Amino acid sequence: MTVSPLFELRGISKEFPGVKALDNVSFEIHAGEVHMLVGENGAGKSTLMKILCGAYRADQGSFLQNGEPVTIENATAARKFGIAVIFQDFTLVPYLDIAQNIFLGREFPGRLPGLIDRRRIHAQAKRVLDMIGFDIDPRIPVHKLGVAQQQMVEIAKALSQDARILVMDEPTAALSDRETERLFAMIAGLKKNGVAIIYISHRLSEVFALGDRITVLRDGRKIASLLPAESTPDQLVTLMVGRPVDTTYTRPSRPTPGEVVLDVKNLSGPSGFSDINLTVRAGEIVGLSGLVGSGRSEVARAIFGADRVTAGEIRLFGERIGGSVEDSARRGMALIPENRKTQGLALARSVGDNIVLAGLRKLFPSGFFRPGRAMKAARAIIDKLRIATPSPRRPVATLSGGNQQKVVIGKWLNADARFYIFDEPTRGIDVGAKAEIFRLLDGLVHNGAAILMISSEQIEIVHICDRAYVMRSGRIAGELAHHELTEANIVRLGIHQ
Amino acid sequence: MIAHKLNLDSGTIARVPGVAIVLGVLCVFFGVTSPGFTTPANIANILTQSTILLLLALPMTVIIMTEGLDLSAGAVLTFASIVLAITVVTTGSAALGLLAALTAGLGFGLANGLLIAVFDIPPFITTLGTLGIAQGLSLVVTDGQSVVGIPRSIEMFYSGTAAGIPLPVIIGALAYAATHVLLYHTRFGTYVFALGGNREALKVAGISVRGMLIRVYVFGGLMAGFAALLMTARLNSAHPTAGIGMEFDAIAAVAVGGTSFERGNGWLLGTLLGVIAVGVLRNGLNLLAVPSSAQVGCIGALVIIALFIDGLRGER
Repeated sequence: MTVSPLFELRGISKEFPGVKALDNVSFEIHAGEVHMLVGENGAGKSTLMKILCGAYRADQGSFLQNGEPVTIENATAARKFGIAVIFQDFTLVPYLDIAQNIFLGREFPGRLPGLIDRRRIHAQAKRVLDMIGFDIDPRIPVHKLGVAQQQMVEIAKALSQDARILVMDEPTAALSDRETERLFAMIAGLKKNGVAIIYISHRLSEVFALGDRITVLRDGRKIASLLPAESTPDQLVTLMVGRPVDTTYTRPSRPTPGEVVLDVKNLSGPSGFSDINLTVRAGEIVGLSGLVGSGRSEVARAIFGADRVTAGEIRLFGERIGGSVEDSARRGMALIPENRKTQGLALARSVGDNIVLAGLRKLFPSGFFRPGRAMKAARAIIDKLRIATPSPRRPVATLSGGNQQKVVIGKWLNADARFYIFDEPTRGIDVGAKAEIFRLLDGLVHNGAAILMISSEQIEIVHICDRAYVMRSGRIAGELAHHELTEANIVRLGIHQ
Repeated sequence: MIAHKLNLDSGTIARVPGVAIVLGVLCVFFGVTSPGFTTPANIANILTQSTILLLLALPMTVIIMTEGLDLSAGAVLTFASIVLAITVVTTGSAALGLLAALTAGLGFGLANGLLIAVFDIPPFITTLGTLGIAQGLSLVVTDGQSVVGIPRSIEMFYSGTAAGIPLPVIIGALAYAATHVLLYHTRFGTYVFALGGNREALKVAGISVRGMLIRVYVFGGLMAGFAALLMTARLNSAHPTAGIGMEFDAIAAVAVGGTSFERGNGWLLGTLLGVIAVGVLRNGLNLLAVPSSAQVGCIGALVIIALFIDGLRGER
């Protein structure tokens, strides 16, 4: 075909501090086509789409509409080109009703200037909802809806904009089978009307059922653009993960693991996981893998006692523990959370203050704080972990990501933890610091600690862990022993086939 | 959870907001204990006296819905009242006086809005600062003395009636209706919900978060300026300490009314009931000869009790 594409992105590059998110990526979309965008977590899919819809600006690259160069400075400009996005993280206002959310920013004017025509908004919303077969009263406030229903509102919002290019970022992640079917029927209808659809998915069945074309991203680069009829799911998995082996860190040999430290049986909880069984022994690092949103962090929080559990039991050193973070911490459990800025650190406080925080009870049994003793304890940790800070008095916020992460780890070292849960310990950390963090983890298990490590980067799991569990949709999809631990196996278990 | 322990029927109890229960209990209690409470004259009195608070609590609801706060409301009210009094006394024109008061309110509202939206200073700090400035200005301008000689044309706004209804009650009703329309039937109101609920949604929709925030605080300043008219009329003078603590009553009324400080969850009717509850409490305590210093403590308790009842409903 020689028809110029409806929209084209050429040579897009985007850099965030320390990460090259996109490197010279070109992408085109034709009218009436469903273009699947696939890749691992962090491959650059969402960044590319945020650039397309004007939320981010590209460092380099150009846009063409019907072959003519155009610019997208912001969200309003993107909307003018008929680009609408169904975001994965919802852009809904909880205390407005469904109709008001669908038409947010595009309210119909009422009879008097400044007023809005609520009746017309509700009528139009009803029409859009009927169109996608979502039978619900548009007057219901969004905060009363479940996640699947919110997803449907988000879809209705995008469709109501008469989009010519519709971006869907994992739209079925929260939908039931019936709603998914309805969405697919919708997509077929839109195609017929000449709408171009960019569809991001981790579910291979969808990729092959819906896609007219597939583009694979990996590490911010476009790896391949292929036709579903000419490829197989296995080929696709290989393209998604098949990168050169990361040699920055090699795992030293570890002694045979000792006693069972953590034993989780049939654990279920309201935050979205069920029937979780896993064990971690002294002296081993066990991986917990799976896609973002598969319930990994929720399981970690539940084990630590930060979230409620509805069924099952957690044993630490053989003793049943009962779901409070104080209890878990006292028994030697430490959770190093995913988001260290909001959950792990008091950013404005000093390095020293943060380090002694978790060990206050042990350092000052009398309850009176003694600055000298705290400073000494902090200095010891700073030396031990080689935290790059001129003084324990510096605010944590001034440190680099890798050093901040070391402070979080140091905090728990000081508290004498013997079982650690690391949730994405290397997120936002550069390669050199990563290797150091891994060395730290190794040091911990050598001294007899046990570690459960969550990571979205399969390569890390493969290199660091002795074995791994892979989660899918809130359940353990499988356990991989050390000899089975490969990226391809992790991806296969984690993806919906 | 607690509702189950107390064996409350969640079907019926759950739907009655805490503020309505509190208001009902207060009315019954004072109705029984002080004979003068239920007379028509006293009820008119409660409503009249509640108007100034209502004029502050209405915009406070809107501001709190945006996850903001306006601690300067009482001090701006005081300052606007002094500006109004001085203008009226020097020019003799009530219209010019009101205009001056509105301008003063607008100025402080705009300052709050700009500092919060453009310079990203937290609302608590910003309005604590403007509280001090407005209060200081009031004391400096008056040298700590009352401004007297308010003409009858101003005073009648508080003491006058229309068709037998006190003018302040009519003004309060109009202000409530106007704020209701503003919040539930305009773009501005829709975006207020989004400012507190999900600012990202506003940005994606191409709406200026800053512009909307500034407007919210300007609305607060203007209402304080307008409330100054009623306060000056009520006192028949302007006094540099007259409005001290009014922001406490206004925030308390909003909280009693069930507006949440998170996620843009607001309820304007709840604020109206909250204002009346605060008014009933003060009036009843006056009738029981409880000193005004102890009344503040009772209002504090009122807030906690109303929110506790809302907590039983599982709303918070």
